[in-house]
Amino acid sequence: MLWLCLHFPHLPIELRQPPDPGAAAIAARIGPRSILIACNAQARAQHVATGIDSISAVARIPELKLIEREPAAEKRALRALAVWSEQFSSEVCLDTQRWMLWLEAGASLHYFGGFEAFIAALQQGLATLGYTVGIGIAPTLEAAAILAHPQLQGHSRIVRTRKALLPALAPLPLQLLALAPEAHAGLRDSGLGTIGAVLAVPSAALARRFGPDLTRYLQRLTGAAADPRIFHKPARSYRRRLEFVAPVASLEGLLFPLRRLFFEFQGFLRARDSAVQSLRLQLLHRDAPPTMLELRTTDPERRALRLFSLLREKLERLVLPEPACEIRLEADQFIAPGDTQLSVLEDRTQRDANWSALLDKLRARLGDHAVRGLGLNADHRPERAWCIQTQSGEAQLPDAFPDRPLWILEPRPLRQLPKLMGHPERIETGWWDAAEARRDYYIAETDEGARWWLYRDAITHEWFLQGLWA
Amino acid sequence: MPSYPLPLCNPTDATALLAVLQGEARIWRGRDLAPVTARPTGFAALDHCLPGHGWPVGALTELLAVREGIGELSLPLPALRALCAQEYPIAFIAPPHIPYAPALRKAGIPLSRLLWIDTASDNDARWAAEQILREGGAGAILLWSDTQEGRALRRLQLAAETGRALAFLYRSAARRAHSSTAALRLVLESCAEGLAIEVIKARGGRTGRVVLEAVRAAAG
Repeated sequence: MLWLCLHFPHLPIELRQPPDPGAAAIAARIGPRSILIACNAQARAQHVATGIDSISAVARIPELKLIEREPAAEKRALRALAVWSEQFSSEVCLDTQRWMLWLEAGASLHYFGGFEAFIAALQQGLATLGYTVGIGIAPTLEAAAILAHPQLQGHSRIVRTRKALLPALAPLPLQLLALAPEAHAGLRDSGLGTIGAVLAVPSAALARRFGPDLTRYLQRLTGAAADPRIFHKPARSYRRRLEFVAPVASLEGLLFPLRRLFFEFQGFLRARDSAVQSLRLQLLHRDAPPTMLELRTTDPERRALRLFSLLREKLERLVLPEPACEIRLEADQFIAPGDTQLSVLEDRTQRDANWSALLDKLRARLGDHAVRGLGLNADHRPERAWCIQTQSGEAQLPDAFPDRPLWILEPRPLRQLPKLMGHPERIETGWWDAAEARRDYYIAETDEGARWWLYRDAITHEWFLQGLWA
Repeated sequence: MPSYPLPLCNPTDATALLAVLQGEARIWRGRDLAPVTARPTGFAALDHCLPGHGWPVGALTELLAVREGIGELSLPLPALRALCAQEYPIAFIAPPHIPYAPALRKAGIPLSRLLWIDTASDNDARWAAEQILREGGAGAILLWSDTQEGRALRRLQLAAETGRALAFLYRSAARRAHSSTAALRLVLESCAEGLAIEVIKARGGRTGRVVLEAVRAAAG
């Protein structure tokens, strides 16, 4: 086994979308003190770093925005990243306390053709999602975590074999070990400085002094003991929630986090080699009922940007009853890209996938019913001889079908009759259902030269205009 | 003012000078030299009147009908039929009435090539037309919009120029006096002999008048 660790050192602050415009930091209460656990780039640029307490941070940057830690949001963000990373590896496990994910990398390496390409693909994808990441590769989970540490500099982050592991870890400083603060202090007080020095101490002596947890951790680190984890289970359906700290009313405020959500979703689809034709989005409000949006695409789609631009069309035209406090993205039905779930209007233009993208765009903005096709109905009554059609397939008219006007109207009663031309056409039908009709149809010409299609109801003798010879 | 280096030639040799000037893209050549790409309308008498002998491709054609029911929709049908035969989709955008499927089918338009877009507002209709024109896959669009905004017309003309579709804009004849960026503007009126077409603007051609008989072949 070879593990690739993804460490997100700024996860608590980077999960906030849109990013805070000024210096901002996440603070957590640890005992009596409030300590910074993550800072954004603006804060870091002004020498406010993780680990210092809130009071001294604000002393350094008076306008610093302090945000209370939200462990639930961190968990959700990391789980979403785990779902996203399924596209790179079938075995994924995570540690929500330490903001880390591990992917089994051995199998994926063959697929990507080497470490460089694999790491580059991961880095690029995570940059799109907007996360800073440290990446380390090692035969054990904990060793990979150490190699992914952001403070590790000038040291190779890749160790391929168990044999190379100990020599690679030995010179690294003690602080990189994932231990409780008391254990760190104790080791430092014993005069130990490097991981190698700690590993050289007999484990019985370490266990006596620091308890069994430390020795067990070291055994998992070196691979001397197994490191069983609960693997992340791929879900059958997609559910993603995002809560806003402050309700969002603006379009930009919604689009920013949605963009990330869609890229996460793209990872989910890629992992399953599948695509969607429909996707549900709910915007939850404090008091009003949720706003439901449904995205439908003509062809199976998996590209985040395509789905995102369709959603954007819909959102731009949406009036929210009140600001949104939560977003939920859901999808249940997945299909292989290329298969079509519904037979729709545009498959004749398969030669051009852009055409169906266009139809999707039109539907997203104008509504599904605004974009239609026309079909024929075998019915003698003119108003029933046509239909709105969403499926393709060419209808044929019977031979010797009589001439008909290009515009058909709802029959309108006529008070004044224009000049009638030629012989009437008797249309008599429909006795088998309620809408029985017996009519005599005429072509007529108005004084202004327009041609109308009229009929006289053979029962009531009333005249109606039903078409225009446009 | 920037100076442009022109290729050297003898200024007394008119033919050589003309050849050089014609090779210069930034020199606007007169209407007789500017070729207009067009598709036959299916009516020889009308083709004869139009620059490029047909409906301009990648440009806006304005059809200003004096009233409904005079053959205003029959006029582009032969060109639409030819486009459908080449498997191009055709879009009707915001038509004023229901396009009658049996009549269109009988006129030789395969219904599967036809897209009918119904919009709630004129803005949406023009937006849809622009999207379709810019996508480039459609053979023709027919848009019914009575907009008076010069900017809206310019946007449509620009969108039409990005593709190779025929772009028909139906407006009421009340707009004939308004200026328009459309490449071709026709006023349609019925007369005793059939459909009278007045060419009130033709980029790269001349204005004029032509009467077509039997445009509404179906109506008596």
